[in-house]
This record gives sequence, structure tokens and C-alpha cells, in this order.
Amino acid sequence: MGPFVPDLRGKFNRFLSDIQLLQYLIVFFGLFNLSLCLYEDQVGKFDWRQNYVGKIKFASFDTVSAAKKIIVATEENVVAALNLKSGQILWRRVLEQGCAGHVRALGGVSDGDLITVSGGVPAIVRAWDLATGHILNEWPLAEQNPERLDSPLISFNTTGLYDPERIEDVMWHIKDGTLHHILPTYNGDAHKTEVEVTSYDSKTGEKLKSRKIDAAFISKESTCVLAVPYIACIDQPDLADKVYIQHLYATDSDFQAIPVIQIFGSETGHLSNLESVPGDEPVVSVSRDNGQTKRIIVINTESAPIPNDLSKDTALYITTADEGKVLLQTSFENQVANVAAVELSTFSPIPNLSVSLSHNSIQAPTIVASICPRQPKGTGCRHLLSSEDHSVALLQHSRLVWVREEALANIVAVEMMELPMSDREQAIETEFDQKENFDVDGSWDVVSMMVRRICSQANQLKGLLQAVMGFSPPQSTQRADLVRDEFGLHKMIVAVTSAGKIYGIESKRGEIIWQLRVKNITGFSKASKKMVLYVQRGSRHFPHPPQCALLAADKETGNGVIYTFNPMTGQPLGEVTRLGYKIKQSMLLHVSTDDFLRPIILLDTEDSVHAFPESAKATAASVAKSVYIFTADQETGVLSGFSLAYSTPEELIAHMVWQVILPTKTQQIVDVVSKSTIERVHSQGRVLGDRSVLYKYINPNLVAIVVQGVGSTHKNTLTLYLLDVVSGAMVFSVVHKRVRGPFHVVHSENWLVYSYFNEKSRRTEIATLELYEGKTQSNTTAFSSLTTTVLPIVERQAFIFPASIEFLQETITEKGITSKHIMVALANGGILELPWMLVDPRRPINPEMREEGVIPYMPEIPIQMDAIVNYNQSIARVSGIHTSPSGLESTCLVFVYGLDLFYTRVAPSKTFDVLKEDFDYYLITIVLLALTVSSYVTKKLASRKAQKQAWK
Amino acid sequence: MLIKMAFLTRLVSLLLIICQISSVIGENDEEVSTDRYVIEGKVFPPENAILTGWQLMTHVMANGGEHLGYLREDGSFTISNVPSGSYIIEVVNPNYAYEPVRVEINSKGKFRARKVNLIQTSQVIQVPYPLKMRPFAPFRYFQLREQWRVTDFLFNPMVLMMILPLLLIMVLPKIMNDPETRKIAGTRSFQEMEQLNSLTKYDMPEMSEMITTFFAGEEKQKSKAVKAAKKRQ
Repeated sequence: MGPFVPDLRGKFNRFLSDIQLLQYLIVFFGLFNLSLCLYEDQVGKFDWRQNYVGKIKFASFDTVSAAKKIIVATEENVVAALNLKSGQILWRRVLEQGCAGHVRALGGVSDGDLITVSGGVPAIVRAWDLATGHILNEWPLAEQNPERLDSPLISFNTTGLYDPERIEDVMWHIKDGTLHHILPTYNGDAHKTEVEVTSYDSKTGEKLKSRKIDAAFISKESTCVLAVPYIACIDQPDLADKVYIQHLYATDSDFQAIPVIQIFGSETGHLSNLESVPGDEPVVSVSRDNGQTKRIIVINTESAPIPNDLSKDTALYITTADEGKVLLQTSFENQVANVAAVELSTFSPIPNLSVSLSHNSIQAPTIVASICPRQPKGTGCRHLLSSEDHSVALLQHSRLVWVREEALANIVAVEMMELPMSDREQAIETEFDQKENFDVDGSWDVVSMMVRRICSQANQLKGLLQAVMGFSPPQSTQRADLVRDEFGLHKMIVAVTSAGKIYGIESKRGEIIWQLRVKNITGFSKASKKMVLYVQRGSRHFPHPPQCALLAADKETGNGVIYTFNPMTGQPLGEVTRLGYKIKQSMLLHVSTDDFLRPIILLDTEDSVHAFPESAKATAASVAKSVYIFTADQETGVLSGFSLAYSTPEELIAHMVWQVILPTKTQQIVDVVSKSTIERVHSQGRVLGDRSVLYKYINPNLVAIVVQGVGSTHKNTLTLYLLDVVSGAMVFSVVHKRVRGPFHVVHSENWLVYSYFNEKSRRTEIATLELYEGKTQSNTTAFSSLTTTVLPIVERQAFIFPASIEFLQETITEKGITSKHIMVALANGGILELPWMLVDPRRPINPEMREEGVIPYMPEIPIQMDAIVNYNQSIARVSGIHTSPSGLESTCLVFVYGLDLFYTRVAPSKTFDVLKEDFDYYLITIVLLALTVSSYVTKKLASRKAQKQAWK
Repeated sequence: MLIKMAFLTRLVSLLLIICQISSVIGENDEEVSTDRYVIEGKVFPPENAILTGWQLMTHVMANGGEHLGYLREDGSFTISNVPSGSYIIEVVNPNYAYEPVRVEINSKGKFRARKVNLIQTSQVIQVPYPLKMRPFAPFRYFQLREQWRVTDFLFNPMVLMMILPLLLIMVLPKIMNDPETRKIAGTRSFQEMEQLNSLTKYDMPEMSEMITTFFAGEEKQKSKAVKAAKKRQ
């Protein structure tokens, strides 16, 4: 038993030293509560959501229900009820996306029910409960028409009526619980031309009657509009000299023809632009020879043209006030909107119903709904205005009640920008940022520095004293809360919308700080509506203002448009630059000019290169040797790469260095995905189980090209090419068979994650690719596409994903140390934060081959509900996710846009660099105090014990 | 593409032409059923939930939003205009989870509903049609905050950290002092005890000493002393 005690003692000694280490560990982990998800009381703390409906297409005042509201149907396929007083959404139903959900007609509100017709062939008719938004009934408007089946003339090859451009020929009318489906048919035979009116019970779908009205005046090129209960038509623009009007419901009426002379008072000219005037009376407007004026015709049994010229841009609406019909003319001039009311029959002005107002959000408005209820004080009108910039406003008794910024339902480009420094910090910054402080030999001018320092500190002291004494601080140009915070979490979201409206939204609460509108711009391609937003100068270069540049296309010519503005204040920096060429490709240079402005390089369709601003040409030329541009043409399938190496300081020259042609007969480019330009990769390799390092293939010039197969044999294939766009080298390609879209791709670091729908197994799958250089690194300092010839090792894997995906985006952080997560927008409205680790292609199938930190392969990726960052705040129809690094390495800011907006922040590797906001300061203080006290107590006890021992 | 034939026979209006114009361009030789079907079912409300407005928060989605169905007041729904094929029907409610169902409609218009199995796609477990969708669990988006409890407090690492060393220091010497242990240790025991005691003897400054140094203004010394004390503990 002898050796037992020393042994025990040794162990005890070791235990004591171990426990010390353990203590540190415990304290360390105690500080950072390891949790990914939110607590319930954190709801709304870092996140906000805003709901939108989109641009108004149809609107109607609900005066029948107890709670007064406005029913709207929008371009975004939404049916919603808005609160009359506040404009808030009472209920909202999002219909199918795209053509399948297009709202064709809305009606029946005045009868107490709400009927919508949406979709294509067959259209779906839905009856909704006005008060609650429940569906009452839905039925497809499907009908077999044997006659039409037999007719050889009606097929897709037949021009005329079935020409897709004449789609608007189908008209709908909902009245008294009956849905009328009105279709002018042109069979090529003038005698058979007729208007077919089919009536259905709008609630049950029961076909009530169908009748055909002869309308010999309709020809192939006719334009027809519905002015209930009449249909009005004109011939094609060059021939039209009469407006034909036909009653749709009276069985025995003949058509009326109103010649030019009767409308305009002179024989000459042709009619054009026949439009129906919305409102309570059958009225149409028509202009002559595309002129600047138009006139209206009040349709009746004896239709009467009104001989008053109206401006072509005036929007018209007819409402009922005091039993009389009132024509409301809305015009917009010099930022002032005027609603002029006139008596329809006499054209005498009604001044008390006329309004003129000016508001930042009301740009070229049209009245989409109006009522003028009789009130004790006199008649006052409520107008619902829908502006050209998609905003919606309610005007009541010439007062603006509310405005909704519906343009935000259609965001096309987003940037998140750091806020500027506060005035005081800027003062300090100027103190050190004086260039003239440097003498010729580089020494500091000590005296002036001293003076400046004393001045600035005196100012600070003054400010402090003023604050203490309760004086109001000096007027500042910026809002106190719109300054940079310590951790860079508070940012300015710059959002560009398809309406050409730009918003500055602060990220803490989602408040709109400023808005701007650029007229007549549109996206580069019709399909995607994409515009490009570049940050030319950040907010760190005081006193230079931050600068953003928006690149878009002109609405009419399609030429490029550049607009520069200050993203913090919304002040335009210069005029809208309308370029004389179409932009094919653009890039932001990595170098900046002397005033810290990063120039934009533009490649036009003629392959010549331009710099913006023009003065930055020399800067661009100085780095032109290493600048490459690539283009991808969806229509021709040509991918080409250009080098600017031949540029001189006077002229930038693009020289084609490579070209890849994809056969358009079998392949169609769907998407081109490059890496984020601000991305940094922290770790160069991956440590394997045997302690060796597998180096990542980090090629910043690598671009993924997603190609969809077309044609019968290549249908349902997906090809993914990885192309080095500097050298034109094809690095990797993969083909998936029997898959279909939607395809979503995330390309980052050395990996690629993409999703598709597997038709064979009928499920959504996520596939990942990861590229490695191998055990040796070709170049440890910088990657060069021209010298690296070794093809990377590609690891790949596919996983089953148990939900439909609407969008994928990766998180990004300041230094790239934090692990990456993938933000997945699900079709059910959730935003899932999916750790990349779960889609790691190196997840081993054989569990014995485990590597450190790699989970064994499982075919299905589980959706953890606590990884849904937006909890129960569903986001409808996500069209994009923008991620931005914050000042904290651990935290990434996420802005989700679509029909709704959602902002939050995520910490993929937990918040390791900042204490949680619920950190228990008391506990740690108490523990530390207790430890100190107990150490003294034990010391006393121990010494007493030692004394006792000594006495023994 | 699938709908081209449907056009020819079911052409009621031309609204879809634009929508489908791209698909019409591609040649198509497949014989596709022209009929459109209606998927029907009923969604049951979650128990013990606030019943007002749950229908408004819920909708039914086929194949991730290709076709949508909305709830009537009693929870029943229809998804119209569905061509034959296979559809995953999901009930979308932000607060409650519903199990998805796969509905297959063959070209003759026969319906079959079965459980969704994404891994073994050929496995068929039939469920009744028209669909009856019942909630199976509320979503747990949030982590629960811990409540204050005595056990939690006692097992808190920090508290343990305080108590455990105290215990070790107080109790272990007691064990060592046990007469039996002494006997075993024999003559060497005194030496051992000395050494053991030296373990518990800390070269910490006296409190009085510390205070005097503190008042002497030597702050640095003090902080060092405190640090040393912490480490020792």
C-alpha cells in the first residue's frame, strides 16, 4: 500500500491543475451561449417585415360592408383589402405567380361580393368574402365549343384574332352576380364577324346564356374597348375614320358609326388611341393622328361626342356626385398633380371637387377608383390614385390621407451601405486628414497640428458643456440616428425598383429615409427587368460624398442610362446621363481615381469601351493590362471574353481573346453566376484526417453558366459549365438529365450549390460541387488564370431537399472567417438558414471514413424549424436575397425582397465576437466577487489548519 | 408544352397564349391529356388555436406554388385547372405543420393520394381522397428561455466552479487526516502532510498589507494581487 499515497497525491496535484484549465473553459463557454435560433422575446428585435401588394390594376371602394375598405387587385397577382383610414392591408391573397395568376377582372364589390377572374385558359373565377377574405367558391371557366374546335381557321397559326398581341380582345364584365365573357371573333369572313357574349352566374359558374351579336365592322386589325354596356371599335390606325359602337345586351339594336367630322369637327385625319374611360358611364376617348389632344364620346342610344379638347396625357375618370356625372381629369405638371372636375354633359367646372396637390410620392397619377358620397357638409370625393411610380394614395376632400410605396414590391437591385460618420467624428477625421500637413520632407507641421488639436478639443468641450447645460445642440445636416454605429450593424439599404424609383431605407426599423425617381428607365432585358447598381464611392471618404451609380436602359430607345446619386441623402449627383449606345456589359473597376471614385467600364453593343465618368479614362487605362470583360448573349449563345490590354490613356480598346459558342438549337443560357466581388476567403485549404492539407481552388474569375436543354431530345436537361472568363478555359462541366427548373445557383469560395427539380423522382434536389487544387498550392500569393493550367479536383454530391426553393444566396462576412450558410427562400414563405456543412460534398457515405467536422452523408437535408430566420412572418414570393457583411465578423445582414420585404441579421458561427444582449452581467460580477472572497476565507481556514497541524 | 393539345380542344379564350407562347414554339409530339381536373380536400384547423382567421393565413399549394387553393370558411379547398400528373399538395400555415400528400391523377382522371416519400419514391402508402389534412404539430421557431430553478442554479458551471474546488479543498484534507490513512502512510505521513499542506498554503498577500498598499496609491500591485488570488483559486 506504500505507493498508494504518492500516487494519489500526484493525481490530486494534476487534478488541481486540470481544474484550473477546466475553469477557464467553463468561463469561456459560459460567456457565449451556443445557440443558433431566436428566443421568443427577441421577435422584432433585429428584424422587420413590410407587406406590399404591388401596382394597382383594379380597385373598388367597398361601401357595402360595415368596415369601409378598398379592394384592390394588382399587377403582382394579389387581391387585397386596404384599410380606408390608414392604408394598411386588412387581408391579402396572393394568387399564382406569372400568367397563371394574372388578374383579368375584378368586380361585384358594389353588390356585396367580390369576384375575380384570373389566369389564362381556362381562367379561374373566384368569389371571395369581402369582409374576411375567405374564398367562397372557385370554378374554372372551361367550356367546350364544338364549333370552334371544327374551325380550321382558329389555331395558333392563324393570324388575326388569335394573334398574341390581341390578347386584350377578351373582355370581362361583372355585374349583378353575372359574369359576362365578351369575345369579338373574327373568322376571316366578314359576314361571320361577331361578338360573342357568354354569361355565367359568377358564384356557381352556371352558364346562363350565350349570344352572338353581329359586328361586321370588326376587322382583323380592329381595336375594341368595352364601355359597358357597349363595345366600341376603331379600325387600324391608318384607316380608321369612324368609331363603331354596338350595344351588347339589347337584342335588336344596330351599331352606330361616328365619323371623324362628328368628333373633331373636321373631315381630315384618322382616329387612333381608342380608350375606354373608367367609371360609372360608358364613355370612350379617342385622339386624331396620334395627336396631343383627345376627345371623349359619351355613349348612349344617340352617342354624343363632346367638342372639348383634352390633353393626351390627362387621365380620365367618371364618377357620380350629386346625381350628376362628373368627369375627373388628372394631369401632372411641375411636380403638381391636378384633379379637375367638370360636369360631364356641360363641361362646366366644379371647383369644390377639384384638387391640386404636390407630394413626393405622387408622380403622374391616375384615378383608379373614386366615390363621392353625399355628406351633411356637402359632397366630398375620395379618390384612389395610382401613380406611374407605382405608389398608391388616397385623396379625401382634397387632402392626402395616406400613401403606400408599392414600388417596393418590385425591387430589382439592392445595395447595403455603411452610414456616414457623425459630425463629431468627421471633425476628428478632418483633423488628421489634412494633406497640407505634410511638409516637403515629410515631417509634420507641429505647431499647426497643435493649434488644430486644441481647437477641435475646445469645440468638443463646448459641445459637451452645451449638452450638460441643456442648450440645444447646433443644427446638424444629418439625422442624429443615421450615423455609423460601433459594430456597423446599422446600414442604409439602397433599393432600386422596376418603376425607376430608388429608395433609401435605414435598416434598423425599415423606415424610408429618402426616395428618388428616374423617369423613363427600364431593365436591360424585358424578362428579368434587371438594373445594375454600383457603389462608386463608399461613405468612408469624407469630405467626398458617397456615390452610387444606377445603370439602366432607356424605355424608348433601349440605350444606356447612368444616374448618380448620394445614397445617404438621396441627392442627385449630376444629371441623368443618357448614353448614345446600348450597354452590353459593365464593370466597376477595383482602382479608384484621386477623389476615391471607382470608375465604371462600359462595353457597348459595338464592342467599344467607355469609362464613366469620362475623366477616369486614364485611371482605367493604367490598369487596363489586367482588366478582362466577358459577355454572354442569351439569344445567340455566344460567350466571349475581352481584354483591355491594348488600351491607351486616350482610348480604351476591347480586344476579343476567346469565344465559346453554345448551340442555341439545343441549349439556352438560363443564368450566369459569378462570385461576389467583395468576398474574401480566409482559409486556403482544408485539413484532412491524416493532417495533410487539401488546397482549395479559389479562382475569382470562375463563372458558372447554367444552360437548359431545348428541343425534344435535349428537353429536361441541365448543363452547368464552369468557365474561367479570363482565359476562356472550360474548367468543368456537368449534365443532369430529366431535371427541370427552376434552377437556383450559389457560387462562392471554391464551391457551388445549385438546386433543380428532379423529374424522375419528382422531388427538389440540391447539388454541390467543390473544387480543390490538390495537396500542393500552385501559387500562394495570388491566383492567376493565365498561369494555372492544372484542372481542379471536383468533389460533388446531391441531396434531397424536402421543399420547393424560390431563391438561394450565401451569407457573407467581412473577413470570410465565419463559416458560410446558405439562405434558402422556401415556397411556403420561410427563409431557411442552411449551414453549408450540411451540403458539403465531402460528407462521407461510408461512416468509417470520417473527417473532422464532417457529418456522414444523409440523402435528405432536414429543414430545422428553428433555422427559419423569419419564424412565422412568411415572406410571399421572394425574388431575391441580398446579404451584406456588417462590422462584426460574426454577423451577416440579410435583406429579403419580393412582394414583402424582410430584414434580419444572422450569425452563421454564432456571435463569437460580441456578448449576447441578454448576457448576465450580474451573475459574472457575483461569481467573481464570491471567488475573491472565498479565496481569502479559505486562505484563513487553511492557515488555521496548518497551525493546528503544527501543534499536533 | 404539355398544354398545347389542351389548347386546341379547350380553347375558350386566348388569354394563355402569351403565357404559353414559348412552349408552343418547341415542337411536341407527346400525346397529352387535355382534361383539367380539380383536386379537393379539407384542412382541419389546429386544435386549441385561435380560430378566427386561420383560414386566411392558410393556403394549399400544389408543386410549390404552381397551383394554389384557398380555404373556405369550413376549411375545405379546391385546386382547379390541374392537368393530369403528380402533385405534392402542401398546406401552408405559418404556425402549424401539416403533412404533405402526393396526389396522382392519371390520364383517365383517376385520383390516387399517397404519403410523400422523397427517398423511396416507389413506396406507396395510400391515404383517402378527397384529402383530409390534419395538423400534426405546431412549428417551434424559437428556443425556450430557461426558467430560474434551484437545480439549474446549482448545476450552473459557474456555481459548480465555486463549490467544487471548495469541496475539494475542505473535504480532501479531511480524508487525508483520517487516522486509517495515516496508519497506512506510516512514518512518512508527517512529511506527506506537510507537503499536502503546502498545496493549500497560498502565498497571498495579507489583507492588511493590501489595504496599506492600496492607500499608498500603488494600484498596480493591488490588481496583481487580486489576479494572483483568482488564479490560485
